[in-house]
Amino acid sequence: MLELDAVTVRFGGLVALRDVTFSVKPGEILGLVGPNGAGKTTLFNGISGLTRVRGRIRFEGRDVTKLPLYRRARLGIGRTFQIPQPMQHLTVRENLAVAQVFGAGKHNPERIEEILSVMELQAQGDRPAESALALQELKRLEIAKALATEPRLLLLDEVLAGLESQAKRQFAAKLKELHQRFGLTIVIVEHDIETISGLCSRAVVLNFGEIIADGTPAQVFRDPRVVESYTGTAHA
Amino acid sequence: MTDLILQALFSGLLVGSVYALVALGLALSFGAMRIINLAHGELVLLAAYCAYVVEARAGLDPYYAIPLALLVVTAVCAVLFLMIDRIREHRELNSLILTFGIGIILTNAILLAFASDVRTTSSPVLQDATSVGPVYAMNGEIVAFGVSLALMVALWWWLKKSWYGRAVRAVSSNRAAAKLMGISPVRTELVSFLVAGALASFAGVALYTMSVVQPAVGHALTVKAFIVTVLAGVGSIPGVFLAAILLGVTEALTVTLASSALQELAGMVLFLLVLFLLPNGLFGARARRG
Repeated sequence: MLELDAVTVRFGGLVALRDVTFSVKPGEILGLVGPNGAGKTTLFNGISGLTRVRGRIRFEGRDVTKLPLYRRARLGIGRTFQIPQPMQHLTVRENLAVAQVFGAGKHNPERIEEILSVMELQAQGDRPAESALALQELKRLEIAKALATEPRLLLLDEVLAGLESQAKRQFAAKLKELHQRFGLTIVIVEHDIETISGLCSRAVVLNFGEIIADGTPAQVFRDPRVVESYTGTAHA
Repeated sequence: MTDLILQALFSGLLVGSVYALVALGLALSFGAMRIINLAHGELVLLAAYCAYVVEARAGLDPYYAIPLALLVVTAVCAVLFLMIDRIREHRELNSLILTFGIGIILTNAILLAFASDVRTTSSPVLQDATSVGPVYAMNGEIVAFGVSLALMVALWWWLKKSWYGRAVRAVSSNRAAAKLMGISPVRTELVSFLVAGALASFAGVALYTMSVVQPAVGHALTVKAFIVTVLAGVGSIPGVFLAAILLGVTEALTVTLASSALQELAGMVLFLLVLFLLPNGLFGARARRG
């Protein structure tokens, strides 16, 4: 589904990502973890096209490294931001409709209603996205917009951040439902070990822009380098 | 005296509608591209001279110039857009310099082609006066008012209901999020720039039929459009319309009660008052709060 080959990102003299190489299989839910500043969001920016990278990014066998952001979205790479970015001048329903028309290349109102229903946003459908939607609603809208583009790969950037533990569990269950219902491949950035362990079949750990572990959540969270990267001390 | 004030209010309403049309073009390109097109007034002027050419050289009614004005102005807009699109760094600042320069070139090109003489319609029908209750207006003013209102409704519909109009609103809301939704920012910007050019075309022809034009008018129109956009404070069409009417009425009352020499100054004073007292504009508080 997605192959990264020696992906490197530099900001001036700072190397944010160095030779990141891994692949994501179709249908997988992969957790991308690491301490703050490890390069997780930079990697998402590189995959989605917000940041230029060196190396190679292939999506479904096609080299997308040089493609602009909007063309990657049209190919089926959906992405959410850690801080929700609604298109504020549009209503919630219009946010989805525009995403569907330009991202998926068609207008299917039934599908929009289905997404609104699954994301529990039907009551807010005609409200402007600039109105004070609650944090959870904004996060659901963020995912709903991405779903409206009919992605096959969904990159979720800390969608559970800021939620209380019960809300986090409910949201994680919702992500599993989306994964099955829409046949998605998901890569999720998340700090919470419990959530990653419950949601993901595989986890990749980044630290200082490099991969330090790749395996099942149980394997990587026992890895001494991962423990050290989180705690700053060597594993006993 | 009451009759004079009523007449000034009515005249302000009519000219304000054309100001609104000019300002909406400026606001549209700013909303989509985050650039202030300082050549926008000159684009309006170009359309006005198209109307002059069609009337004076071809002997037709100035409103027959609309297809020609659309062709010429949107072509210039497309070239201007291509130049702006090539700016890679500090687009907001560099585009100001670029569009200011293009404005000067257009003004001087018009000056070379048509001299600095004042031009206006010679159509007896458009120059005839019609009474509306106790007040009077030239037919040209009433037609221009109608054209402006119709275009504002059309623009509202386009932004609200068409997919490209929604895309323009999406890009102006959140450029990065819009791109993630598959929206091509370049195409959306081009479309909004061309629509702004189309508005300028109609505004220019309308202006020629109700007022006088000369090469120096372009710059003054850009300033007026900028004042209206700041007065409105938010890119809502009713907001721009009301701000434009306010500017038109202020200018007309100044001419009636004081002196025509103070007309431009009155607009600037209004502009400064709003900046000091309501820095978010007359209708901008809600939109800028978040």
